[in-house]
Amino acid sequence: MNEIIQVLSDYIRNETGHSGDISPDEDLLTSGIIDSFNIVSLAMFAQERFGVELDDDDMVRNNLARLSTLAALIQRRLADKA
Amino acid sequence: MPASIPRFLRQTASRLPAKTALISRERSVTFSELMLEVTATAECLREIGVGSGDRVGICMEKTVDQAVAILAVLFANAVVVPILPRLKGPNIRHIIENSGMAAMITDTDRLTEVSEFAQVTRLITGHGELSNEWPNLPYMRKFVRSNDFFDQIGNDNAAIIYSSGSTGRPKGILIAHRNLAEGADIVGEYLGTHEEDRIGCMLSLNFDYGMNQLWQSIRFGCTLVLHDLALPNDLFSLMQRERITALPVMPVIITKIFDKRLKVNTQRFDFSSLRYVCSTGGRLSSYMIADLRNAFGKTKIYSMFGLTEAFRGTYLPSDKLDQFPTSVGQAIPDCQILVLDEAGEECTPGAVGELVQRGATVTKGYWNDPENTAKTFRQHPRFPGETLVFSGDKVYKDANGFVYFVARADDMIKTKGFRVSPTEVETEVLRHPEVMEAVAFAIANIGVGEDIGCAYTSTSGEPVSEAVLRQFLKSNLPNHMVPSVLLHFESFPILGNAGKHDRKAVKNQSYERLGIPPPSVSAAV
Repeated sequence: MNEIIQVLSDYIRNETGHSGDISPDEDLLTSGIIDSFNIVSLAMFAQERFGVELDDDDMVRNNLARLSTLAALIQRRLADKA
Repeated sequence: MPASIPRFLRQTASRLPAKTALISRERSVTFSELMLEVTATAECLREIGVGSGDRVGICMEKTVDQAVAILAVLFANAVVVPILPRLKGPNIRHIIENSGMAAMITDTDRLTEVSEFAQVTRLITGHGELSNEWPNLPYMRKFVRSNDFFDQIGNDNAAIIYSSGSTGRPKGILIAHRNLAEGADIVGEYLGTHEEDRIGCMLSLNFDYGMNQLWQSIRFGCTLVLHDLALPNDLFSLMQRERITALPVMPVIITKIFDKRLKVNTQRFDFSSLRYVCSTGGRLSSYMIADLRNAFGKTKIYSMFGLTEAFRGTYLPSDKLDQFPTSVGQAIPDCQILVLDEAGEECTPGAVGELVQRGATVTKGYWNDPENTAKTFRQHPRFPGETLVFSGDKVYKDANGFVYFVARADDMIKTKGFRVSPTEVETEVLRHPEVMEAVAFAIANIGVGEDIGCAYTSTSGEPVSEAVLRQFLKSNLPNHMVPSVLLHFESFPILGNAGKHDRKAVKNQSYERLGIPPPSVSAAV
């Protein structure tokens, strides 16, 4: 789980130029680290990088705006595949 | 008679005290609660030292507290100066200095960024936790008696909205109370706004378009539902849950909510309450119209056009969209739209000229900028005693009098709903130590309006690392101003013998290299 979070953090830092820490539980939209364009790229990256498919229902702020919840979602989808 | 938003709120709070006025994720308020909060907050501002005519900045995320702050500044007889929260230091400093800002209301999330301005303007928090340093309005207003001391007349200043032109720094568009009130009535008339409406507000309250949604709620007693658009599913759930009847959007919003990568199934939502969608700020493409129809069925769609200097100019009646899908329509109520040639004469149908507007929504000019004001806000011999807005936009009318946008006459870029001047972008690119010269230009991208491209030459002759340059720009510019495309040139073509680079040639070469046509001129089809 921590590895997933690390990969996602690195992606965000690359995409946005954000240099500080990213707390797994902060809402990244609220804190302004990502915007409504980045969040879609983040979801696309997550699917590609981890080889999972996110459904229509998964694509909500409650899942995607926090690294902890996004990582948990990715883990669930990985488990579904196994 | 109103002539101001405060007068409208007095009426509506009296008429519909228990009606829900505003809803956000955090809280909701009725009109009477709103009136009490706003007049208490205005009293706080007065006690803090905000005086009549003072310019007060509002740099806040979209919350009920932001709406309260905006209204409280009006009720305090002061002038609202919105500051987009995404702006960086130098942009904010420009607005503070140019407007002569007496105070800035911000939220605690933004304090780290704006605290450097405590030396030049008084900082106040309008949302968030209490701090020892700055007055906190939500806290203060609990201990203060509501006081309605609003005394401005329709002609008095209500707001200054900073907006870019084609050159230089953003200019402050000075807006009177009467402009705001009439804007509410005018839009309400052609959209049929009424008390039962529930407006889904994804728009920022930092611009006239978003603010007008708040004004309409206050004027007509309908409910405004605030939403920060991130993912379409959340928006669609909200629209269903809140029975949204009205959805004002922009092309960039339409592109986001119908992003095919997200595989959203719009058919699983109930949009039966949706009365209309309206859009302004860019071209409404046939794909956008198709997506809207596919998702929202029989809802009415209004295509509109306007410039902040006159708030809004045209709208296309929804029953005309199928017949004239590329038109932006006819003059809004109580305004006239003229298409004038270079001699100031009206063009015949089909002939391209400049869009010139007269009427109720024409604003007062640019704050403290008589030179630029004189260029845009002018007289015309046919209308003695009046001031008309000369937009600089190239348009034509068809035989029915419907207007079609052709192009800007100048270099201003319109991206994601924002106006950006190429010089603003160039100034930042030039600040990088390895960059020698820069020319910014528009790249047509109907999804967002235009993208920004920037050609540059370097001191070393070699390209600057794209990652490095991009990182540099992102730290100084809000996202919408960072160029999507950075093109390195070994050298720029020179203009004549003056030694200045030839901007036009640089742009043409850039378009050639990108393999795209320049984004202008041919008649809109």
